[in-house]
Amino acid sequence: MNPFIRFLARRIGFLVITFLAFLIIIFALPRAIPGNPLAALLYQIIQQAQTNPDLVKAVHRRLMDEFGIGKPLHIQFSEFTSRLLRGDLGTSIAFYPRKVADLVFVYLPWSLGLLIPASITSWVVGNLLGALAAYKRKTAVDNALLPVFLTLSMTPYYWLAMILLYLFAVSSRIFPLSGAYSTLMIPRLSLPFILDMLHHYILPFLSIVIGAIGGWAIGMRAMVIYELGADYVSYADSLGLPDSRVLRYVFRNSMLPQITGLALNLGLILGGALITELVFARPGTGFLIFRALTTLDYPMIQGTFILLISTLLLANFIVDLVYAYIDPRIRTGYVGE
Amino acid sequence: MLMGIFGSVVYKVDPLDIAGSPEHPPSDRFPLGTDSWGRDLLALLLTGTKSSISIGVTAALIALAVGIVIGVISGFKGGLTDSLLMMLTDVVLVLPSILIMMLIAAYLRERNPLFVSLIIGVTSWPWVARAMRSQMLSLKAREFVHMSRMAGLSDVKIILEDLLPNMASYTFMAFVLLLSGAMIAEAGLSMIGLGLTRGVSLGIILYWAQILESVRRGLWWWFVPPGACLVALAASLLLLSTALDEYFSPRLKGG
Repeated sequence: MNPFIRFLARRIGFLVITFLAFLIIIFALPRAIPGNPLAALLYQIIQQAQTNPDLVKAVHRRLMDEFGIGKPLHIQFSEFTSRLLRGDLGTSIAFYPRKVADLVFVYLPWSLGLLIPASITSWVVGNLLGALAAYKRKTAVDNALLPVFLTLSMTPYYWLAMILLYLFAVSSRIFPLSGAYSTLMIPRLSLPFILDMLHHYILPFLSIVIGAIGGWAIGMRAMVIYELGADYVSYADSLGLPDSRVLRYVFRNSMLPQITGLALNLGLILGGALITELVFARPGTGFLIFRALTTLDYPMIQGTFILLISTLLLANFIVDLVYAYIDPRIRTGYVGE
Repeated sequence: MLMGIFGSVVYKVDPLDIAGSPEHPPSDRFPLGTDSWGRDLLALLLTGTKSSISIGVTAALIALAVGIVIGVISGFKGGLTDSLLMMLTDVVLVLPSILIMMLIAAYLRERNPLFVSLIIGVTSWPWVARAMRSQMLSLKAREFVHMSRMAGLSDVKIILEDLLPNMASYTFMAFVLLLSGAMIAEAGLSMIGLGLTRGVSLGIILYWAQILESVRRGLWWWFVPPGACLVALAASLLLLSTALDEYFSPRLKGG
């Protein structure tokens, strides 16, 4: 069989297993945690019944129905899965009667629009800086860069965001204080609106990029140093190949593990980005989750996380494929395992 | 740096909730100023640091225990057990831990330090398990293990007496990394509103600073110190582990 197809089949199998595991976690959590969060929520809804009895009754029935309360577990699970496959994530409580899926799809693009460019930029810049530090090892450049990388890699984006916001929006009013666009503007595709959006975009973008560079740089530095010690480098050197050519080989080999790193770290970056959104009061999934948490909107929490994590798993899968395509060992079927 | 912060918890005994004037900038009486309730931020910071560290330590120990058990069994047994355990590890590794933490925390109505540590601990073990497994695989092939086996020792005994002591230095490094990761994770959970429901930690101070708009109101003494503390702690731990790494592996030391 074609090795690439075999690789693909294995990855797809793994994706399915991971997704199943994730579904089971999502399904089991509200039902297994002691103190029964769902019952608490239902109780809270019934308590509010005096103010708006009809609405509350409707919410209550919806919730009973969607979580399948009172039915046997296996039926609950099959109903849960089939609803998911149909793309039904349930009904929000805080924004009743809007569907969770509709709400998330309004906010998700804002988050992805911040997350994807920021993580790619930080990945590229971080790798270049890391390679530079490795190349200049034992010089002042590396000695200066490494502590910066170490510190940055441990700096939460949202704290960086708070500091940037304070410096550039509060102390000196270069950038706007909050939001993703000015409240006076109507969201549409016009030049002033796009400029205004960019103006609001710079600080959150920078917080994530700067915050994420350190980790990539450290990883890349270690990889390049490791590769520089490899046999093929001394061989190429002894052949008298120019430095730039050798470096290109080293760089390419060191990039490979960093691609896997990108896939695994997307979740971490996303977690930080969600909170960064909160600091800048940008519309986005961070806001949605925060709102849902303060109102105990469980269907919303569940739905948002299902979408976010599914997106990540898919992104992971795609990065894996890209990796397999780039790595000639997998492409041509040399599998070391 | 770590010890300095530990020590100062004893040195400055300022009760948590005693009020001065609210939102007071740093002064002689309140070296780091006060928050919206007039609480001394230095005192808060010290208690917060202490509880962040203790949550971090507990979480790291939990993750370490799970990681070692799975990694060691997997590496030692091999075969089907190994494949199944590594499959489990890969699944948990791929699921974004910080989001899973948030999801679990969201369903807990009351979150005490132990719960928070547990949540962080059960989601951050996979890389430890993988590392331990490969350590195990390389150690297992050594001669002294064959000797013990020929002497008829049981698996458990071989693991406990021969293999684990050899992994001590590595385990310590993993612990240090887990600790810094766990403290950052705690702050992240707190920031989105899923931290401790009662008590103070560095993340909780930042969370208050965030929801009470300290940044936009220019109260820098409220949000800068807790973050700086967190970064300093985590970065120094990372530095420690890098140093240990170079110390233990001659290849990097020479290189």
